[in-house]
Amino acid sequence: MTETITGSRLSLSTDGARNLATTTKSVPQMQGISSRWLLRLLPWVGVGGGVFRVNRRVVYSPGSGRVSFADEGDTLRVVPPSLGELPLLRGFDDEEVLTGLAQRFVQREYNAGDTLVEAGADADAIFIVAHGKVSKLGQGKYGDNTVLGVVADGEHLGDQVLGQSEGTWGATARADTAVTAMVLSRADFEEIVGRSEDLRAHVDELLSHAAIPKNAHGEASIDVAAGHSGEPDLPGTFVDYELSPREYELSVAQTVLRVHSRVADLYNEPMNQVEEQLRLTIEALRERQESEMLNNADFGLLHNVEHGQRIHTRSGPPTPDDLDQLLATVWKQPSFFLAHPKAIAAFGREASHRGVYPTSIDVSGNKVPAWRGVPIYPSNKIPVSDAGTTSILLIRAGEESGGVVGLQPTTLPDEYQPGLSVRFMNVNEKAIISYLVSAYYSVAPLVSDAIGVLENVELGRHHDED
Amino acid sequence: MTEPQTEPAPLSLGTAGARNLATTLKSVPQMQGISSRWLLRALPWVEVGGGTFRVNRRATYAAGSGRVSFTVAADSVQVVPPSLAELPLLRGFDDEDVLAGLAGRFRQREFAAGEELATAGAPANSMFLVAHGKVNRVGATKYGDQRVLGTVSEGEAIGQELLTGNGITAEETARAITRVIVLEVTRDDLQRVLSEAPELAAHVIVSQADQRAPRNRHGESEIDLSAGHDGEPDLPGTYADYELAPREYPLSVAQTVLRVHTRVADLFNEPMDQVEHQLRLTVEALRERQESELINNPDFGLLHNVDLKQRVHTRSGPPTPDDMDDLITRRRKTQYFFAHPRAIAAFGQECTRRGIYPEPVEHEGSVVPSWRGVPLLSCNKIPISDTGSTSILALRTGQENQGVIGLQPAKLPDEQQPGLSARFMGVTDKGILQYLVSAYYSVAALVPDAYGILENIELGRVD
Repeated sequence: MTETITGSRLSLSTDGARNLATTTKSVPQMQGISSRWLLRLLPWVGVGGGVFRVNRRVVYSPGSGRVSFADEGDTLRVVPPSLGELPLLRGFDDEEVLTGLAQRFVQREYNAGDTLVEAGADADAIFIVAHGKVSKLGQGKYGDNTVLGVVADGEHLGDQVLGQSEGTWGATARADTAVTAMVLSRADFEEIVGRSEDLRAHVDELLSHAAIPKNAHGEASIDVAAGHSGEPDLPGTFVDYELSPREYELSVAQTVLRVHSRVADLYNEPMNQVEEQLRLTIEALRERQESEMLNNADFGLLHNVEHGQRIHTRSGPPTPDDLDQLLATVWKQPSFFLAHPKAIAAFGREASHRGVYPTSIDVSGNKVPAWRGVPIYPSNKIPVSDAGTTSILLIRAGEESGGVVGLQPTTLPDEYQPGLSVRFMNVNEKAIISYLVSAYYSVAPLVSDAIGVLENVELGRHHDED
Repeated sequence: MTEPQTEPAPLSLGTAGARNLATTLKSVPQMQGISSRWLLRALPWVEVGGGTFRVNRRATYAAGSGRVSFTVAADSVQVVPPSLAELPLLRGFDDEDVLAGLAGRFRQREFAAGEELATAGAPANSMFLVAHGKVNRVGATKYGDQRVLGTVSEGEAIGQELLTGNGITAEETARAITRVIVLEVTRDDLQRVLSEAPELAAHVIVSQADQRAPRNRHGESEIDLSAGHDGEPDLPGTYADYELAPREYPLSVAQTVLRVHTRVADLFNEPMDQVEHQLRLTVEALRERQESELINNPDFGLLHNVDLKQRVHTRSGPPTPDDMDDLITRRRKTQYFFAHPRAIAAFGQECTRRGIYPEPVEHEGSVVPSWRGVPLLSCNKIPISDTGSTSILALRTGQENQGVIGLQPAKLPDEQQPGLSARFMGVTDKGILQYLVSAYYSVAALVPDAYGILENIELGRVD
């Protein structure tokens, strides 16, 4: 203690007192912990044998995916294996033939407002949109213009063109933005088909599926006679299943946690050092788990949305109209939206701009924003691209409703939490204790219309104050 | 985790090998075609013991659907002669030759949006049948402004009173609000047909007399009452007259023969019963079909039996809150709306455009959109035409409300679920088990105003 010149202290200072007192300490804090709504909202199914098989009715109209492109300066090239995503080439994997096809694509540029194809004109080529948005326009009952749909990055116009010998375009396609399209004419396609026996056989087989009666979802139909009178022969039927159903193996997120034995042995009052190390490691693993369940290229939800369930924003920012449109894709009892917090803010801005104030709903004590009564949960794991675009997911959860379920192992040795085990590994020569921390998980949509996604959601577009 | 560039030789058993020893967890077979089937859940089901349900009503003079049909060949539209008998004044007339002669007098004409087919106060020289498009009936308000009395659309007639020889001057203006194709017949041509076919003229006179019989505004024959009288006047004697040929609804059927090979049924039953799941999915398909039939069946389906007064047309095209209000006012106690999911999205967009956020309501544990507190339920069985037009249904349900009811049989042999039976048919020579799966159902509206439709909803329209 230092005596000051102005006068001697009359009592003990706080600095002195601290040396006798015990400081109250917080447990170690971590910024990376999020609310992890996806993990909390999904129903979890215990998988005993490490694999979950989703049996479905056989589907004869193969969904279509997206074709990818490689950028070479100003010219684009179709990535040959990704051509297998076109409905007519679905499952075809002869790389040589696909490369031949990919080389026949011609790149064309359009400005916003240009017409790609005209309704009624001869359809003799397939257009794959490499970049930009294209609207399909039709005519309403009384002759007004209507928008039938939007086609964007990697999607295509005119898959029926390649299979038929002739036909006309059913709808006009107009570029909404600057558009780069890759075009393959029917003549080129047929020339390649003529050269490859395999491709011919593949195309013929897929075309023969067109004749099989099926329902609106492409499932082989269950024949039913209805409203008949008299004694007609009744149709005989059976329900066919997919022969090679999709199987989901449990994925894993793992790490080895190391704690020095001197730390673990001695510095344990009032907090257990190993426990705190473990707690934070588990938080990091769970964060990673949520991220993988959304973004994993194999089973992640964002990569497993059917073609028909992907829609695009009309203008750019997420508007109430876009969310209404999204609700029409997962219309059978949707459970929740999942969006990046910035996308939720952008949506709120769009709602306010239209003078609409959607009421929040109460979910176990939390006020959650909602649209048409379906809660919108934030998740920072949904990626935002450099250009500021993101996606909004709409999910139906639950096993009975054919929705999305989370998968986790039923029991684990040394289970610490459901689906997570902490196993003591060893103490090495440096006296470091190692623990193996593993989380096992996967996620599966039981029926493909359980997820819908709104894509090309642009963030940061503000309305000027009038 | 990132894969190393070159895989070293594995040191332990891989997952692919381990899987061969493990039991895979299997989902039951999933089916995309299963929908929420709100209509089947919303209707109260009345058990029909004898296979037929008869709806007894008070005698009505109102004439039925009132829609004429057309054939379109290339650009020329022609009226289907027997369907002319749907016009109230020609109701029940069945001399095909005369109707064909009348049909032959119609000439096709087109009007652009905004043009007037008839003008109030001007001489009315033609009767029109609308083949395509929408026409507003415009009258005057108390203070001389124009007001829309109603909208006339495909199959309906304008200026029918010409048949009776009345209607020298038009009472209301008829203005096309879209491009309109009509079939026109002039007064002179009509008079010629009537004079050539006296039986037609006689039929019109009888129909007209029927229309003048005392009746309430629903067309039911009047129950005479006296009210607010003083002194000792003679009280009116009365009785409630019933329809002599009431409508009967026989139960309709959806059937199929489910086939399962005995080897499949006998052996492959762990952990799931194969026959049970074949049956489960077949029943789902039957129920989906049942819902579709309740809406679309040409005989008893709701879309085909709606009363003329219960058909509302959209004012502009997309389903607006105003249109929904129009639809709601046509009956007491509207309980449900049914619409295609895309129509619901379009309605939501129209609300947003007006800055309105209708509160969603809770319905059987799900949160659904609503309008004026009436839940708006999705139903993908309501058709959307190639040109993107669809309908929205508004329903009052229940016998005690005189609403719409579903009909199902009281008791079935081998009943699996209410109204659905699965009956073992036998084993064929090929060793295939056969089950006859049947669903029996129908739907009836007890009074005509139990439900209504908003028609000509255009989806995806851009302005």
